[in-house]
Amino acid sequence: MYTLDEALKDKISGLCYGNRILLPFKAHFLKVIIENDIITDFSSSSKGISIVEHEAYSDLYFLEYKMLSENLSKYEAIKIVLVEEGKNIFDVNNHRKIALYLKEKHKVTIEETDADILFIE
Amino acid sequence: MLTFFDSQNIFAAETKSVADSLVTSGEHVSQLPHPIMVLPFLVLLLLIATGPIFYKHFWERNYHKLSILLGLVTVSYYLGFLNDFRSIEHSVTEYISFIALLTSLFIASGSILIKVNFKATPVSNILFLLFGAVISNLIGTTGASMLLIRPFIKMNRERMKPYLIIFFIFIVSNIGGALTPIGDPPLFLGFLRGVPFFWVIQNVFPIWMIGILLVLLIFFLFDISNQKIADSVTAKSKQLVELKGSKNLSYFAIIIAAVFIDPKVISGVPTLSPLPFGIREIIMFAVAFASFKSADLEILKANEFDFEPIKEVAYLFIGIFLTMIPALQLIAYESRVYSHYLTQATFYWSTGALSSVLDNAPTYLNFLSAAMGKFGLDINLAADVKHFVTVDEVYLRAISVGAVFFGAMTYIGNGPNFMVKSISERAGIEMPSFFTYILKFSLPILLPVFALIWFIFFKG
Repeated sequence: MYTLDEALKDKISGLCYGNRILLPFKAHFLKVIIENDIITDFSSSSKGISIVEHEAYSDLYFLEYKMLSENLSKYEAIKIVLVEEGKNIFDVNNHRKIALYLKEKHKVTIEETDADILFIE
Repeated sequence: MLTFFDSQNIFAAETKSVADSLVTSGEHVSQLPHPIMVLPFLVLLLLIATGPIFYKHFWERNYHKLSILLGLVTVSYYLGFLNDFRSIEHSVTEYISFIALLTSLFIASGSILIKVNFKATPVSNILFLLFGAVISNLIGTTGASMLLIRPFIKMNRERMKPYLIIFFIFIVSNIGGALTPIGDPPLFLGFLRGVPFFWVIQNVFPIWMIGILLVLLIFFLFDISNQKIADSVTAKSKQLVELKGSKNLSYFAIIIAAVFIDPKVISGVPTLSPLPFGIREIIMFAVAFASFKSADLEILKANEFDFEPIKEVAYLFIGIFLTMIPALQLIAYESRVYSHYLTQATFYWSTGALSSVLDNAPTYLNFLSAAMGKFGLDINLAADVKHFVTVDEVYLRAISVGAVFFGAMTYIGNGPNFMVKSISERAGIEMPSFFTYILKFSLPILLPVFALIWFIFFKG
């Protein structure tokens, strides 16, 4: 299992199959933006997203989509505000913003958003 | 079959005499539609208003089908019952012009990255919005909106609230562009009909100035309460503004220059009739293609370039352009019948009210036609238009201001409103719904400003 920092530093990719994204770390999710959808409901009754935590990775199911790759252009990111597991969620300094880009062969690159990307927490 | 429907004339406006039920649209005369044919337009407006709130994902998956379906209802009626191909052709031609301009500006601006490295304060925001208002007269409200919305969000990223975007829509996407024919499409249509290029700035400037200053003042009152958060923002870079992809500014220049490539403006320009587009639209689409193909990938990525916002506008507005034909023809007819009763105030409020939900370009033309009809002048004669603007300029002023300013009243009042909303939502900003926008912002903020403008300039 990787930490978020390790995944970013070593450029570890996630995976995407259909409406499912696998991220190689565990985290507390605060906000997910996909296209015009801003998702903040991560409860089990959420209609937008279902998150399943595994021993070494996190599964994100985007319930309103069938094939994410059909909806997102190669320049468009899924943006996530999260806190790495084990860190204090109430300390805003621990809130991290990452961007996911869908690539070929089911790969998902994970990048910390830079100042150029429009991303309001 | 067409002949059968035509002879039956089932849904044509049957209560009027034949002469009464004719309506002039542009340069042709057609039969007046039955009022019930306004229904597809009302249904489409209702869907646009309620879809994103009550059945969001159904709407997202099906809005394009619904828009086209409702458009086809109107097309079938005109072709099948009225045997009127010209009205549809006219609307399709205007739509292609509209979408060519929006698409080319959207793509060219998507390849430009403006980085602002100063902290947003109420004062810097006011200066930025004022700059946007001025520049929208040079590159159009669409161009200015697409170019400036991202830097505006970035400079306010630590203090972002929806009102910031809404005031951007008010000022940059709408009111700002009231000074030149490039600013907003209705003014350009007026220019094509014979209104002198500098007539607008000479006659509308005082109203524009008061409108902009009042809205900026209200914005300041909103923004000042956000000051505390702004204090904590620190500038990170030495350079205040950085521009990447500046070569695309030349694409912008070509698009703006192409606006004038019209047989009505430059006599040597060939018309491609009967095709529903001209050289201008071909240039705009070609520039859009060249701009996208030569764009810097890093800039596209930073701008998160996606065709979805323009696709959404394209689909929704084809439905709007088609379904609004009966509404516009009925309005044109009624306004001509009652033109003697119409005052500058009624022109201001009627053009404004309809421009809030209809496309403001044909609304402008129809009311201009009605105003000229009051004096026995014909909108299709450039000499009459020139005479009208010198003798009875108050009516044209009322129509011009109403058409441009009131586009800010709803998300669908003007093309860029929707695109600014979409870009903002993709940045994570929760924008107000269609109704909240109207009830919480445009009615309490814009309506009093517009009423004051009416009181000062158009009450008499």
